[in-house]
Amino acid sequence: MSEQSKTLEIMRRIGAPRPEKIRISGILQSPVLASLTLLLPGGVSDSAAAVLEILGKHDVNIRFINKYKDSAGNTSLCLCVDADLLDTAINSLDVHEESLGIRDFVYHPQVIVISIYPHKQRPRVAERLLTALRMNGVDPLSTNNASSVVSCVVNRDSVEQALACLADAFELP
Amino acid sequence: MGSAETLEIYPLKIQRGLTQLSFLRIPTRPGATRPLFDLLERHGVPVRFLIEGCAGDYNRDLIVCIDSEAFTRLEPELKEVEIRMQTQALELRQPVAVIRILGPHFDIRPGTSSLLFGALQRADITIFSNATTITSSMCVIPDDQVETAERVIGRTFEVPKKKK
Repeated sequence: MSEQSKTLEIMRRIGAPRPEKIRISGILQSPVLASLTLLLPGGVSDSAAAVLEILGKHDVNIRFINKYKDSAGNTSLCLCVDADLLDTAINSLDVHEESLGIRDFVYHPQVIVISIYPHKQRPRVAERLLTALRMNGVDPLSTNNASSVVSCVVNRDSVEQALACLADAFELP
Repeated sequence: MGSAETLEIYPLKIQRGLTQLSFLRIPTRPGATRPLFDLLERHGVPVRFLIEGCAGDYNRDLIVCIDSEAFTRLEPELKEVEIRMQTQALELRQPVAVIRILGPHFDIRPGTSSLLFGALQRADITIFSNATTITSSMCVIPDDQVETAERVIGRTFEVPKKKK
């Protein structure tokens, strides 16, 4: 049993206090997408722009991007594309693997982006989202915010469970 | 790929004087990030930018941007938060700015994000972090590169002129 599962099991057994629901105006989910996470060489200028240009030239829609520097100084680039274009995306990046300096590559063929409105930059909305999902064994692959929305990428298999626990954690109109 | 001239966006929203905090390699467990969000909530500090991603080996990375003035207030308490979150590294960048580009529908126009990233890269703008969803892209860049970034984005997309 992983450390995470052990923690979850203990928390379920002892029972965590149930916090008050946070009122939101809606939860949306995307169509089925695929996610790709690339590890690129860091530095002042990285190859993220080149990756996006290659995908753009192959008519690959990008519906979600998370980009940041990790602890080793590499650029972590998580992208969500239309699920039926996953092969096109992988093949087009494969051709340029060396020139892009791709150090690692992980993909999930079927994911959904779940978005919660409004976020309004409130810390507790993001916290509740992440904690509620993990308490219920759903591990978001990637999470980000825009000004009024916080979105997370989850595996398609976990969507029903994710929506059920979010409906329990947030108060919908 | 659509022509850049046809892509209209809303006026840029720019938030300056921010600090980016990167909490790197936090163990993946429920409530791991709660100490940070509780601290921000208690002090009424808005999260201007947030991303979380996989760091491998059951770890997560969490990047947030908050106002630098708020960071100064919270700094004495951050060490304890870092310990409670069991984060393996906390990296700071300041001053940074968040530029929000709203409107070009990144999801239905292949190549739109490439237009943005490519234009900023050619102008030697450093994008520390980026969060893009359907209609908005938020870039964290060095605060002293904001004016250049504004000019570059203004040449890449059609931005409404500011009223005088």
